[in-house]
Amino acid sequence: MDDNKKSDIVNKDTLQTERYYKGLQIKHIIRLSVTYLLPMIILIIYFQLQYTELIQESDSLHIKSIAENKSNMLDLFMNERVVNLINLIDDPKFKFPPDSALMIEYLERLRKDSDAFTDIDLFDFEGNRIAYAGPIEKFEITNYSAEKWFIKLKEGSERFIITDIYLGYRMQPHFTIAVNRNVGENFYVLRATLEPTKIYNFLISYEKTSDTYISIINSDGYYQLVNPSFGQLLALSPYNVNSDEKLGLSYSYINNKKQKFAYCWLSAVDWIVIVQKANGTDSFWHINSLTIVFSLILLIIMFIVIVLRSKQIVESQRQKDEAEEEKAIVELQLEHASKLASVGELAAGIAHEINNPLAIVASEVGLIKDLIDPQFNQQPDIKDIIPHLDNIHDAAFRCRDITRKLLSFVRHSDVQLKEYNLNDIIDDLVDSFFEREFTVSNIRIIKNYANDLPKITTDANQIKQVLLNLLNNAKDAITPPGTITITTGKKGDYVFFAIKDTGCGITKDQIDKIFLPFYTTKEVGKGTGLGLSVSYGIVRNFGGDIEVESIPGKGSTFRVYLPIKLF
Amino acid sequence: MERKIKLLIVDDEEKFLDSIARRLEMREFEVTKATNGTDAINYAKNMKFDLALLDLKMPGMDGKEVLEILKREHKFIEVIMLTGHGSLESAVECTKLGAYGYLPKPYEFEKLIEVLKDAYEARLKKKFEADQLRLEKLSQLALGRSPIDILREMRKLDDEDQ
Repeated sequence: MDDNKKSDIVNKDTLQTERYYKGLQIKHIIRLSVTYLLPMIILIIYFQLQYTELIQESDSLHIKSIAENKSNMLDLFMNERVVNLINLIDDPKFKFPPDSALMIEYLERLRKDSDAFTDIDLFDFEGNRIAYAGPIEKFEITNYSAEKWFIKLKEGSERFIITDIYLGYRMQPHFTIAVNRNVGENFYVLRATLEPTKIYNFLISYEKTSDTYISIINSDGYYQLVNPSFGQLLALSPYNVNSDEKLGLSYSYINNKKQKFAYCWLSAVDWIVIVQKANGTDSFWHINSLTIVFSLILLIIMFIVIVLRSKQIVESQRQKDEAEEEKAIVELQLEHASKLASVGELAAGIAHEINNPLAIVASEVGLIKDLIDPQFNQQPDIKDIIPHLDNIHDAAFRCRDITRKLLSFVRHSDVQLKEYNLNDIIDDLVDSFFEREFTVSNIRIIKNYANDLPKITTDANQIKQVLLNLLNNAKDAITPPGTITITTGKKGDYVFFAIKDTGCGITKDQIDKIFLPFYTTKEVGKGTGLGLSVSYGIVRNFGGDIEVESIPGKGSTFRVYLPIKLF
Repeated sequence: MERKIKLLIVDDEEKFLDSIARRLEMREFEVTKATNGTDAINYAKNMKFDLALLDLKMPGMDGKEVLEILKREHKFIEVIMLTGHGSLESAVECTKLGAYGYLPKPYEFEKLIEVLKDAYEARLKKKFEADQLRLEKLSQLALGRSPIDILREMRKLDDEDQ
């Protein structure tokens, strides 16, 4: 039951230390990441953004140039076709009205220039078709005077007109170019129907070699030419184009997706060439995916390195902590051992202190026995006996006081920090253990205390241990008779006590070693060599220091400084 | 009636000194008490003690010094040491200096009496042997000398005894 409890506590302890070290590792990981990874991530993002901007700029330039190029080519095409028709109708040999064979010949002539021409019509002043050549055999309408293009041409403000794409009789997309001519009093209009396939093919073929979509819309935004996989012919396109600029960039929103496109107005007709990147804004991720993968791998490797490094740091920290803990335990044990040892050195003196009262007890008891023994015929009064009983009583309590003080000193007690006057601590120890010892050994103690000593916060027991060690040493150094002077005082932020003896002193060789553990000049079995080293440890723990002065043959002075304010 | 044994007790513990002295007085000892070494040596000069009981550790002159002086100044005195320390080394040292016995404090009273009696016997024996020797010397001296010479030699021997 107890064992279980114990192991539970141990487990809890290890759990807590585990948690502590885990937390420490996480702290290190975060710290290292912030130091190394964060700047790198910021750099990567910065370059990525820069790069993307560059790419987008070059994209913009690219699609704009395509749009301009296409627009120019289409303009050229349209102008050529218009010129074809004007040349035909302006030809002085052109007969009005031509017969159908001649009309076919004219169509053939046009088709030599461009096979986009599918048929031609000739209309008179009133909008009646007077000649036709082409694939249609029968017309439902023969008068076109109400058609917009006809009215415009008749007004004479334009020499030619190009219509938008429309679906003709055969449900094929077509557009027409119409030109006029005044012959004397007469006014004729020559109209040609063209198939946009040429242009369409041209656009499609270009699309295939690049990642762009090219389409043509009219000024109202309807598709005139478009890749069927992309949009529907004559349907409303999503493009909204600025009419002030011939060439420009704009954005469309398809399914809430922002899409950049370039546009270029044609001059020959109110059409607009629209060029759009096939994969649009995805290019950012697509083009740079390699960079991103590379960066990610780099970041992951760095992160792994950081994790390993932090583990290493934590492990070394842990080893350090454990070593320190071990050291602390050993120090504690050493301190206790030394305490016991110094008490051992005291034991002879203590024995004297105890044996003397014991001798009194034995002797007094014997005396009382003698007094009441008829053999000696003393016939004692009870009053004669009481003083002897008192002596026994006193002797018993003398013994008790000594053992009690000894025990209170040796006992493994927790550090108890309290405010003390240093003089009191010294008096307490000297009076308990040394006063008589020194008197009978012919060692004089001179107390040279400062009266206005400030109180210090300390553990009296540990200071007594230091004192005990120093006084034991002083006593051992002296060949009686001799003097030990105990001085106290204040110096700066410290109070001090000095133990000065008139003993043998310490040689220069010895003085470097006296604070080393197990160094002793005493006879084998008399000193452990721990006293000074442990005393030094205690004083250092309190933030103090020990100074030594010694003249061989004259004596030594050990001065112990303790800070007035502990922390 | 037998002559009382003349005993000097030296100890700085007065209570101890008083009680031990009284007990010994009850047992036909003639006890003189001293609380320090100087007094003890002074007393010894005036009174011829048979035995001395000395505490080893005392303020001022310690037991060993007193032992040395007593043994030097008084030829037949036997000294028993008493001590609370009870270490072997000091026992050996005291024996070398001529102590008859060594008793650690606290001791059994019967043991003390026994040691004191032994010491006294030893003292008597030593005195007897010395007397014999003196007689022999005297008889040798007496041969072929003038009475004045004999007296002078006898005084010399007496001085040695002291």
